[in-house]
Amino acid sequence: MSEERDIQEEQLRAVRTGHGANCSSIGSVINTLFATATVGAAVFAAVVAALKREQVKVAGKDQA
Amino acid sequence: MIVRYEPWGAWVKLETQAAIVALDRDGVRALGLDGGRAWDGAATRESAPIEVHMAVTARCGAGCEGCYIDARPDGVEPPREALERELDALADAGVFTVAFGGGEPTTRDDLDVLAEAAMARGITPVLTTSGLGLTDARVEKLRRFAQVNVSYDGPGETYAMVRGFDASAAAERAIERLAAAGIRVGANVVLTRASFPRVDETLARAKSLGACEAQLLRYKPAGRAASIEYLARRLSSEQARSLGPTLRRLAATVCAAGDFHVRIDCALVPFLSADETIAKDPDALARWGVFGCEAAGALAAFTVDGRVAPCSFARSSGLSATSLASHAGDPELARWRAHVAAPPEPCASCSLRTVCKGGCKVVASFVKGVHGPDPECPRVVDAAGERAA
Repeated sequence: MSEERDIQEEQLRAVRTGHGANCSSIGSVINTLFATATVGAAVFAAVVAALKREQVKVAGKDQA
Repeated sequence: MIVRYEPWGAWVKLETQAAIVALDRDGVRALGLDGGRAWDGAATRESAPIEVHMAVTARCGAGCEGCYIDARPDGVEPPREALERELDALADAGVFTVAFGGGEPTTRDDLDVLAEAAMARGITPVLTTSGLGLTDARVEKLRRFAQVNVSYDGPGETYAMVRGFDASAAAERAIERLAAAGIRVGANVVLTRASFPRVDETLARAKSLGACEAQLLRYKPAGRAASIEYLARRLSSEQARSLGPTLRRLAATVCAAGDFHVRIDCALVPFLSADETIAKDPDALARWGVFGCEAAGALAAFTVDGRVAPCSFARSSGLSATSLASHAGDPELARWRAHVAAPPEPCASCSLRTVCKGGCKVVASFVKGVHGPDPECPRVVDAAGERAA
């Protein structure tokens, strides 16, 4: 899809950054909680930009 | 991006950056999609996990005192074909991430093949290793993993106080080797009463060796750690209450340059209830996708004998890993979800309830013998004190 999509930041309920590679319990990046508003806004803006550009695939056997 | 519909919208895994996003229904529609069946009769639909921890071996010669699966040098190792069938089940369920562990997964000689198999199914493979015996040849087999975490509880005696022997030099070499090979590497840091006071030093050391992040892990009473020794090794009440300020300090120091991140595991989230600033703003935690107990929810584990467990520390259910699609009907998994949906007090009235989800049930089961509120959560401790007074 080449046409840019109208994704708004308020449509993002949550953003989990990073991969995490622990095999025993699920982890969440926490230092971003204490970051400045500018840093936080930059992360969300980058996510919105990716949502506008990336090709879409649907996961799962019964979802496609 | 890979989209998985949910009753509230969709989970979206980005492919040009390392992020998973919860997008509401309007956002999904803006992608030109519609949730279809997932958005019809949504109230009764149970979501599949987005992350699964897969034990690919029970073999390990390290002998860590607190090993949560009691791995041994002669532990069983399932054949690759069985694990590939489990990966099929993950793909069918729309799982985004598989974390290979064990045992020591690098004792297998087919990890590169397994990583490729996961990727071919649209699943991001990651891995945890002790780093012991991680030769250059073994590092080469890890190139397809999105990230590899090395168990590293601290330099020298700090490591030894957690695991019972000092293999910190081997873990440090492993972090360096992986980073030098261009593989994204993190450190898993177990927090015990002895290692917690040195966490700043440990994270600074891990960063200097090339790690890009550290995941802080609560010590849990499972496997060899399910003994009376647990009570002496777990964080003290004061340490648990100081988690918030500790994280704030780490964010301002080791993370300040933006090239290193700190993660907390699900079981540490209840300790944040002692931090007044964090407890007042649970929406901030939710917005950054912080997960509390997601056992049988966003998280599941596949045991080495091919069963589904709510998490790696919990007893397995009767459900076969290859039948993950039937997870909603399994009574044991349903029991875990039911507790989260309607927790008793003091969890029910806690501001962090929707994020924390009642704390660690593995700890509660071991310490109190019930699947109930986390007895080490500061808020639960305070409530018990008030009842007793």
